[in-house]
Amino acid sequence: MRSSTLLSEILAVLAKELTAELRSRVALNAIGLFGLTTLIAVAYQIGPYQIREADRPHLLSALLWIILFFAATSGLSRVFVKEEDAHTAKTLRLAARPLAILGGKYLFNLILLVGLYALIVPLYCALMGYAVRGVVGLLLVLVAGAVALAATTTIVAAIIARASGSTTLFAILSVPLVLPLLVMLIQGTRAAAASSELAAVLPALQGIGSLGGAVMIVSVYLFPVVWHD
Amino acid sequence: MTENRTRALLHWLLGGWVLLVILAAFFYAPSASGFKGESARIVFFHVPQAWVAVLAFCVNLVASIRYLRKRNALDDARAAAAARLGLIFSVLATVTGSIFAHVMWNSFWNWDPREVSIVILLLIYAAYFALREAIPDEERRASLSAAYAVLAFVTMPFLVFVVPRIYWSLHPDTIIGATGKLKLQMESRMLQVLFGSLAGFTGLFFWLYTLDVRLARVRLARRGREEA
Repeated sequence: MRSSTLLSEILAVLAKELTAELRSRVALNAIGLFGLTTLIAVAYQIGPYQIREADRPHLLSALLWIILFFAATSGLSRVFVKEEDAHTAKTLRLAARPLAILGGKYLFNLILLVGLYALIVPLYCALMGYAVRGVVGLLLVLVAGAVALAATTTIVAAIIARASGSTTLFAILSVPLVLPLLVMLIQGTRAAAASSELAAVLPALQGIGSLGGAVMIVSVYLFPVVWHD
Repeated sequence: MTENRTRALLHWLLGGWVLLVILAAFFYAPSASGFKGESARIVFFHVPQAWVAVLAFCVNLVASIRYLRKRNALDDARAAAAARLGLIFSVLATVTGSIFAHVMWNSFWNWDPREVSIVILLLIYAAYFALREAIPDEERRASLSAAYAVLAFVTMPFLVFVVPRIYWSLHPDTIIGATGKLKLQMESRMLQVLFGSLAGFTGLFFWLYTLDVRLARVRLARRGREEA
């Protein structure tokens, strides 16, 4: 009974987030346009022929995640900052329990990230001539990456919203936490591009999954402190 | 009075121990083969500095959890003191590591996974203080920075154990290898100096940490009197 109530609260928070975002489209525009602009700049200046064959596996996977991560940071912090800006945080505190708010906001950030990946990754592969042998492996890395990245950025967004709401602070706080994850994501993407075997991406997936899971569990305990203090 | 005497005695003992370690690092430990000149002696200072940077991170975590449970302002001061020292020792570990890398490989920075690990630790400490400075309200500052410290600690095992295993490293394998067996490939006199230095640096950390916490205790007591 209680878990179904929690689920319905999470879905209600998610629905509220989606409605508010579709009305203003601030995060969607920021993430989408930042991603596209960076992709165009990289593709125009580097393109498929500027990188030597031997360097392609390293550089192309790293460039892809630099574009994806920095595009994501431009919009993911808004999920909590907008509540403080619009003075709606107090109402939200009364309307739903902390876990439901964290869950709803996490799912919203996850949807934003999946949308960003769906837009940027195919375009990147086409514009940069990035041939991926293990498409299923890459999809798994992208999904695991979105799940773990959304977990870290959502709790950091909650912290900075209660601190000063500055997006600069969001980057300062999230970059050191996300770096190990980015290293594993780049390694996993490189492995997926080189081999169609799922075993090739397994070490990276284990690392990404365990880091994402650990951050999620800690977030569940920390969020009530961050949200109510 | 007795407490002051014990404290003074401990300070002298610590000073003597650290002096002994410095002398032993240069005159007692033999030269290591396979390294340029006497460059390997930096290990007696570099490894303990990195160890103290990680130890400070653990002390910061414990104090942060205590703050979140008991809401005692002194625990926040303990967490901040540990982080301050952790920041200093991670800078020292990075600098000494870079000096050694330059002597050995003619390059100050090689993007070795362990080099990256200590820099990320440094960034976490810097971010922790950036967060503290961004919050004027003391209670909120304490609780949010404690939450960030706990969150940052979760990434630590991945930096120390997972990432260095994905990438090839210039650093020797850790003392306990991937198989779980103890690996100590050092000459016994070098090991004695290394462990002596680890003990000395740990003592140095706790001395500086205690000084900082005592100072914070005095500040809190004075403010309590002013508010009363």
